[in-house]
Amino acid sequence: MKNLKYLWLLAVSFCGLLACKHDELSVIKPNENIRPAADFVKNNYETSLFFAAIEKSGYKEQLNGPGPFTVLAPTNAAFNGLGIYYPSDFDRIDADSLKRLIGYHILPRRLRTSDVPANGVDVRYATLEGTELYTSLASLNANGGPAGNTLYFSGALASRKDVVLANGVLHVLEKVMKPAFQTTTAQWLEQHAEYSVFVAGLKKFNLWEQLTTSGPFTIFAPDNDALQEVGINLESIRDMDTSLYKGDLLFGCYLLYNRHFFVNDLRLFEAINSNGRYKYLLKNDTHQMEIFGDYNSDWGYELILRTGGGPLDWIVKTAHSPLIAKNDNLCSNGLVHHLGTGLVSPEQAYKN
Amino acid sequence: MKKQFLDTYLFILGFLSLFSAGCVKVEYSKIDEPAYLRVFNNINYVQTLGSKDDKVPFFCMLINPVLDDSGMPVSAGIVGDFLDKRAAYAPPYPSHVGTSISVNNPEYPGKENVLVGPVLNGFDLSSWAQVPSGKLRIMFVYRPKNTVPFFQLENHLKKDILVDTVIDLSVKEVYTLHLLQKDFVTKRSGILLRQENFHKLPLSDSLAYVNFYNMSAKGYWEADKSLKADNYRLKSFQGGMRDEMNVFLTLYETESNLSHLGETVSGYKGKYVSNVKLNTTTGVVNSYVSFPVWASGKSDGIKTDIWQRFDFFTPGMDIANNPFYHSSIDNGGNWAAVNCLAKGQTGLTSNDNGALLPNLLVNIHSGTYNPKTFATVNTIEVVNGEVYLTTIQRKYAPPIY
Repeated sequence: MKNLKYLWLLAVSFCGLLACKHDELSVIKPNENIRPAADFVKNNYETSLFFAAIEKSGYKEQLNGPGPFTVLAPTNAAFNGLGIYYPSDFDRIDADSLKRLIGYHILPRRLRTSDVPANGVDVRYATLEGTELYTSLASLNANGGPAGNTLYFSGALASRKDVVLANGVLHVLEKVMKPAFQTTTAQWLEQHAEYSVFVAGLKKFNLWEQLTTSGPFTIFAPDNDALQEVGINLESIRDMDTSLYKGDLLFGCYLLYNRHFFVNDLRLFEAINSNGRYKYLLKNDTHQMEIFGDYNSDWGYELILRTGGGPLDWIVKTAHSPLIAKNDNLCSNGLVHHLGTGLVSPEQAYKN
Repeated sequence: MKKQFLDTYLFILGFLSLFSAGCVKVEYSKIDEPAYLRVFNNINYVQTLGSKDDKVPFFCMLINPVLDDSGMPVSAGIVGDFLDKRAAYAPPYPSHVGTSISVNNPEYPGKENVLVGPVLNGFDLSSWAQVPSGKLRIMFVYRPKNTVPFFQLENHLKKDILVDTVIDLSVKEVYTLHLLQKDFVTKRSGILLRQENFHKLPLSDSLAYVNFYNMSAKGYWEADKSLKADNYRLKSFQGGMRDEMNVFLTLYETESNLSHLGETVSGYKGKYVSNVKLNTTTGVVNSYVSFPVWASGKSDGIKTDIWQRFDFFTPGMDIANNPFYHSSIDNGGNWAAVNCLAKGQTGLTSNDNGALLPNLLVNIHSGTYNPKTFATVNTIEVVNGEVYLTTIQRKYAPPIY
């Protein structure tokens, strides 16, 4: 009986021991290490070039501020596509242009994927730069098929979505958006020497002036090498008699009127309604153009020019355009895409 | 003893006070002298690359709106928000209510929680909303396609009014109101109010009834293919049909043979039933035509799985002298066909050109029979490149398990 009393005492003192202070009691704390936008971009190797651009354009302090922000961060590979490999390469860009470019990649709001309407196409949101960007979300296919939730900003795919920041959200873009809202498509083409032959051709055949109007236009601009392939250069244009050639075919075939298509719209509508192809007759001409996404080249685009829209019409030319970094130049009255292949030679556009 | 009485009284008093606390005054919403209204948005669209910049016909319907000085609606007597393009099938009861996860409403009342019509002369009017009779100002206002309720939108988004007009409704009459594009070239839009009469007709319950309307926009079928929505599921209806068409009915014996070349019910192979003319101006009810529910000699008088095909041919053409191949889709508006079978989702396995709609006959568990077949009253409406079915049904006996 006495032994039992000791046992009882022992048990009680053991309880007292348990009541001792535990300094190492672990409680799950909320993560205090979520970084603000600029620091987050800085700490990712994949976006080091974008950080250099943020720093150079003076947005760093603002982006580490209270926000909220949505940061659309192009990867280094995206900048590489534009010929930018080192932070020093940004020095070659005019400071104001760079500030506008980077400002276009930041929204003064928190925009998660779930905030974009389902299957919303070209939903516009204001950017820090002051203009609007076009947001599209392919959520579900009307004809069945998987829900994709692929998100695009002004034609650039968000390859990684909804990264949480202390003061907003970040989406990683596989391509740099290229706003040029201060210029019309005509001015943009004129500023780029690689399209000088195309510009000369448009001017010669009275197709130029319309590109200064409101449009919108989608232009598949062939560079000088591409037109040389089909036998067109500055000299040959100078010597052409406009009454002998169909200008709406020879140079008009590169123009799509009253539409503004980002190249990735082809991929977008493939996901929304299984049809990412678009056919149209050339203006003032019987030839038919078909545009569709090029699955084989990281979603560039492909053009097929046919003699007409009927079942017996044959293909004049097929062109692939795999250089995705040079597409989607967003002007005030439309879009300019790079085209590396000429479509129509002067002989094919000869009036007979 | 006295205390005991007091206790008893107190107890009774307390008990009664419980009753009075349980009282609550319920204000039942009630519309005196109602009319019954069902609204469809027939301005259809398909989301395609070519139409991505077009304005989406997504509306808010306002009845008796109150406008501020700038002409912007600030409130309304009845609000039918999120009015989307109508669905191919308008069922006899508001089935959208329970199953949908979206705010978009394919018709009014549809998903709206409002007073609906009674069972009138045996017909279930739960897809018709009660609205006040008399003259009503009605407005259809464009709204962005999102989930923000109309009056919470930013002010500049509330001013784009497509239709602003007055309709006149009589007491206890049944109406369908259609928002339509009336001219494909000028894009003029408007409404068509139809006073239905099915509840006044002496209709038999062993015949299935159907009437036809062509409410297409003027100039649709003539327009170039590139201007029309590309919706391959609608097959031969995509291009629209001519302004006057003859309708031919074929009844097929069984839904287990999904072929347009399958066995037909004797006497019902390409049978002429009706003529339909384009009309987007007058609310005339076209006459109902019928076929017997038990048309097939193989049916047992309880259930049947016959299905229907309607061929719309231009006058002069019929099923015998049809020059087009079976699967021909692009027929210049001369021939369009629709198959009505199962739930309208099952395609034929044969190579035909018919659009798909649900079967006009309802097969459902009723009484001890599962299934039992019931006749319905139907309306088939052709609008531009689309074809729609509205089914109205009678009440039938509940199932006995």
